[in-house]
Amino acid sequence: MSEKLLSVENLTMKFGGLIAIDDLSFSAKKDQITSIIGPNGAGKTTVFNCLTGFYKATSGSMFLNKDNKTLDLKKFSDFKVAQKAGVARTFQNIRLFPQMSVLENMMVAQHNKLMVASGFSLLGLINAPSFLKKEKEAKEISKYWLDIINLTNRADDNAGDLPYGDQRKLEIVRAMCIEPHLLCLDEPAAGLNAKESAELNKLLKFIQKDKKTGILLIEHDMSVVMGISDHVVVLNYGKKIFEGTAQETKTSPEVIEAYLGTEE
Amino acid sequence: MDKNFLQSSLKDSLFTGLIALALFGPIVGLRTVAVNEALVVQPKWLVVALIVAFCAVGRFFINIYTFKKDQRRGEPSSFGKAISNFLDTKGSQIALGAVIFSIIFPFLPFADRYWMDIAIMMMTYIMLGWGLNIVIGLAGLLDLGYVAFYAVGAYSYALFAIHFGWSFWICLPLAGLFAGMFGILLGFPVLRLRGDYLAIVTLAFGEMIRILLLNWYELTKGPDGLTGIPRPSFFGLPFKRYPDEGVETFHTFFGLEYSPMQRIIFLYYLILILALITNFFTIKIRRLPVGRAWEALREDEIACKSLGVNPRNTKLTAFAVGAMFGGFAGSFFATRQAFISPESFTFIESAIIVAIVVLGGMGSQTGVVLSTIFLIGLIEVFRDFESYRMVAFGGAMVLIMVFRPKGILAKRKPTITMVKEK
Amino acid sequence: MEYFLQQLINGLTLGSVYGLIAIGYTMVYGIIGMINFAHGDIFMVGAFVALISFILFALTAIALPVILILVLLISMVFTACYGWTVEKLAYKPLRKSFRLAPLISALGMSIVLQNYVQAAQGARIKTLQPVIQGGFNFFEESEFVVTLSYLQIFIVLVTIVLMAIFTLLITRTALGRAQRACEQDRTMTALMGINVDRTISMTFIIGSSLASVAGMMFVMYYGVIDFYIGFLAGIKAFTAAVLGGIGSIPGAMLGGLLIGLIEVFWSGYISIEYKDIAAFTTLVIVLIFFPTGFLGKPDIEKV
Ligand SMILES: Nc1ncnc2c1ncn2[C@@H]1O[C@H](COP(=O)(O)OP(=O)(O)O)[C@@H](O)[C@H]1O
Ligand SMILES: [Mg+2]
Repeated sequence: MSEKLLSVENLTMKFGGLIAIDDLSFSAKKDQITSIIGPNGAGKTTVFNCLTGFYKATSGSMFLNKDNKTLDLKKFSDFKVAQKAGVARTFQNIRLFPQMSVLENMMVAQHNKLMVASGFSLLGLINAPSFLKKEKEAKEISKYWLDIINLTNRADDNAGDLPYGDQRKLEIVRAMCIEPHLLCLDEPAAGLNAKESAELNKLLKFIQKDKKTGILLIEHDMSVVMGISDHVVVLNYGKKIFEGTAQETKTSPEVIEAYLGTEE
Repeated sequence: MDKNFLQSSLKDSLFTGLIALALFGPIVGLRTVAVNEALVVQPKWLVVALIVAFCAVGRFFINIYTFKKDQRRGEPSSFGKAISNFLDTKGSQIALGAVIFSIIFPFLPFADRYWMDIAIMMMTYIMLGWGLNIVIGLAGLLDLGYVAFYAVGAYSYALFAIHFGWSFWICLPLAGLFAGMFGILLGFPVLRLRGDYLAIVTLAFGEMIRILLLNWYELTKGPDGLTGIPRPSFFGLPFKRYPDEGVETFHTFFGLEYSPMQRIIFLYYLILILALITNFFTIKIRRLPVGRAWEALREDEIACKSLGVNPRNTKLTAFAVGAMFGGFAGSFFATRQAFISPESFTFIESAIIVAIVVLGGMGSQTGVVLSTIFLIGLIEVFRDFESYRMVAFGGAMVLIMVFRPKGILAKRKPTITMVKEK
Repeated sequence: MEYFLQQLINGLTLGSVYGLIAIGYTMVYGIIGMINFAHGDIFMVGAFVALISFILFALTAIALPVILILVLLISMVFTACYGWTVEKLAYKPLRKSFRLAPLISALGMSIVLQNYVQAAQGARIKTLQPVIQGGFNFFEESEFVVTLSYLQIFIVLVTIVLMAIFTLLITRTALGRAQRACEQDRTMTALMGINVDRTISMTFIIGSSLASVAGMMFVMYYGVIDFYIGFLAGIKAFTAAVLGGIGSIPGAMLGGLLIGLIEVFWSGYISIEYKDIAAFTTLVIVLIFFPTGFLGKPDIEKV
């Protein structure tokens, strides 16, 4: 049994008359992969947007356990969720810095610690050795992650020039550069072929097991979900209709019904 | 070329001529002039006929030309590509050559008073362009009120120098600091706005500052402007033919003949140094975390937030640093002119600086130099055709956006590389 | 009280003019999401076309009502050509460019139009003799006589009629439907077989003709114009569009009236020198604190 990392309680999000999330409660555990699945428009991405402070939830609460402290995520606005609470995310439509190099993308993700190291630019302007050392370290960390996804040889190319699958993986390791406690991935396998999908599984397993980072995963691709999830939450029309292990989900009549007519 | 095509292009050019007639007929063809207090209309049909014919014929040739090009598809468009390739690969050599050229410039045989004045003016615009390049080119914030910081720098320099009698080297940093603080003050409320709203708000701020300068008579003397701003001296040695009793001047100290050019050359080197400082500062800071964050914000603000980058503070630093360099340039302007008035800080100045940055290529330092030479040169060459030159200038802005929206130098160098640079 | 009433009348008249210009900003913003920075200068061109027509017609023996209608139509047609051409030359090629490109292009277009008119028509201000004179006087026995001039009635009436016509056009016709479809999703609209280019062109034509009517009112109301009037009027009308809720046509009219009232009351009660500061301050306050306006949709950035 591992301890609780994230707990979402009675979360509701309304857009005008549309209730995108309706009284949703679930929790995610440390060192586990928790999947959120559901048909298109079920409100999955909206859950992420509330968690990461891009939307302000209409009601409900979200707590993150970090270093034996409980943080109320509602108190953090967008960038602070990443900076202070250590929640990283990727996007359904990839959001890299396309005109910047792969390495630069990785360096921007280490912005906050480099900012401090550069003495808010004052030490950086005079090439202070302490800053150069930290910068070199950040480059090493970038290289470490790029090695894992086999992109080191393309580190100096523009991120926008990479093939689609590599862009997806780059976005994930870029998020890892902020050393998150919780990593939220929005449909990371969308548009990947079978081989890339398998590589993605391996990467996620590595992040979960070796990096001890909790993962919250939105996914459509059932082979990914079933292959790696420890825990599955099923949404439909903003409501939670099922919660359980991957095996239980597969055989649950509610889930099958929700997916009938929308998915195969 | 088949007949159908010919027919349709003829029709098309006829249509173009008709539109041109509608556009230029009333405004150009019917010039209103005041005769004895009343307006009468002076027809100018010949001019209109010429313009309309030009448009129609031009359209016809464009049609035929693009038709031919369609047939030759596949051939690389050679000339433009060769030039941009050359510019993109030889950037650093060009820059080095330009620096050397600008250092020896005052001693070239043709560099008389006229050329030196132009060179100083261009150098000022280059510096302003480099300053604004941080804001627009790197951080992607379209600031249409940059001239406000130029004005704040100029006025604070002038006021410090006139009222407290402080020397250039004290007033200059103070003025820059002042302008930078102003940037933070203005930037704080507006930097969360969307790109286009930000552009309009900065424009409004720029105009408000100018109206304030016009109306705050006790401080700024309003439209009369501030006169008697002290001229800079060479480390305490003034440039004067007839100095006050017992004061050593630049020419007596160095045992030279007095010449008014000495002061001009000094001013030239002053702005050259200021501009180069701006340049080196920008090149350096671009490679620091904050500079990288500026460019990342320009690329994708939402992604930045998801990585914990504080967008407001980051934008604010860009805004403040840009404003500070605007303030330095303003100080130089004040000391060079010895007279400033709100007239020098109109919206069109902001537009010119924006055009310099955008034409040069967002974020490209060398691009700013090339586009300044081109645009200020254009304005200078057509000096005697006051409004036509601005038509050409505005037209150039449109054409750049349409044909080369990324500017002259479009290639961007990464700020850090894995492999050592080739 | 009488003074207040007079200011109210003046404010509503001026507001009609701003409202007509604001519609152009709002429609273009709605359909292609750009601030048409040159729109104020289109208004200025409209004012010049109206001025020139008035001068020419003054030489003829045509009755005044006919002249008014003719000038209205002439200004609309010729100014619409400007709007159409500007869109074709400066904005259409940039629809897929980076987001600030159209704004910069519009800025360039604005500089072109101003200086072109200055070159063609001269930099001096142009004066027009009053076309419609007289009016109703109220409170004649009190100290302050309130005047409602025929011209003011004319301006407000024309505005109302045009508003009605164009509202019908946009809510009831195929063109209006196509416009609203383009606002939602341009690619889908094109796939449905609607000519997106033509719809956008029509939007510019309508916006410019309304601006030209505003220009005609302006030159009749103030009697003086120069090539630079588009800048300030454009800023004020843009503020009106944002205040009303950018994208909303009734909002633009409402915003226009408000801006007209603010300007007139500011000049009447506070200070006439700082009249333009009032315009810019309103703009800044509205954009910073109230960017969605009264009738606009809230702008939650979709992530
Ligand atoms: N910013 C927004 N404004 C209005 N409606 C939104 C917004 N974001 C999401 N929605 C709506 O919320 C519902 C859930 O969307 P989303 O969370 O993206 O679904 P999913 O990711 O499960 O496919 C959809 O009906 C969507 O239209
Ligand atoms: Mg989604």
